[in-house]
Amino acid sequence: MMESCANIQEHLGAWLDGELAPVVGERVELHLKQCPLCLGEKGRIERINSTLKNTLAAEAANIPFAPFWAGVHARIVEERSWQVRVVDWFRLTLTPPRLAWAIPAVILLLLGVLSLERFVPGLGFGQTNLASVESIDGHGMNVALLRESQTKTTIIWLFEDHEAETESTPEPASADPAF
Amino acid sequence: MRPKQKAPLNLLPPTLLFSLWLVLLPGLVRAAEKSQPGVQVKIGTIVATNEADCLDPLLSKMKQQLEVIKYRCYRLLREDSQRVSWLANALFEIPGGRSLLVMPQEYRNNRISLKVRLLEGEKPIVDTTVRVPNRGNFLIGGSAYEGGVLIFSISAATP
Repeated sequence: MMESCANIQEHLGAWLDGELAPVVGERVELHLKQCPLCLGEKGRIERINSTLKNTLAAEAANIPFAPFWAGVHARIVEERSWQVRVVDWFRLTLTPPRLAWAIPAVILLLLGVLSLERFVPGLGFGQTNLASVESIDGHGMNVALLRESQTKTTIIWLFEDHEAETESTPEPASADPAF
Repeated sequence: MRPKQKAPLNLLPPTLLFSLWLVLLPGLVRAAEKSQPGVQVKIGTIVATNEADCLDPLLSKMKQQLEVIKYRCYRLLREDSQRVSWLANALFEIPGGRSLLVMPQEYRNNRISLKVRLLEGEKPIVDTTVRVPNRGNFLIGGSAYEGGVLIFSISAATP
């Protein structure tokens, strides 16, 4: 089966530069022997290459390469600031694939840290382990609230109003407040 | 021949999907937590006296907490535990003809909000709302009982 001309012409440039795999090169060569259209295209490319080569060869002597190479050398040897070095380090280190894995890894790490409290009670981050009392109504009794951080203790202590008791009952039944 | 058209989902890098899953994970965990059936509420009734130095072995874990209250002897009278649904009341009978009514209200920032009412018969003695750390406790004390005082350790835990 004969190769399509479009396919062969697509590979012509690479074939002329010797960049094709041998098997593909042989197919191009075989096609060119049978197809005057593609042979003509090959001739056209060869003429363009030849013209370019001749022009570059003629003009190369006039191109001032010395300042260009001096600039390249200056950039190689120049002392870069630490900011530039840091930026370069990040640019070289944080390649897209690495970054793609780093993001979920960081999220996973944060989730792990935030979940520590669930598995290790008392390991709060900026969070006290003390109970906090939002409201108390003693319904006429006196109420004392003690919060002690060292032992993580919150105590609501109820005690009778002694003055009221003295008026109503001669012998109060309740114990004195313990603190 | 035209190249095979890939499904749009296949164009997403696996890492991007993994990141998305991780971002959604806390929400899923929280939703699962909310679907848990309530709070395990435990009431420990302790009597504190000044008769002699003693500490019930069952209270050894609370030793430091109890030492804040300056009594000499602590005995555990009883311990009751109930699983209570959110916004539902649980009644705990306690010695001396009293009772404790406990209602878990909400769970936020690893804290359980408990509404607690101490009753003597039908008469309320104290009403309080306390935000207790999950698996933590607080104490209510002061009621006279057999020459000493009663102390209630109220703890709450949710999965």
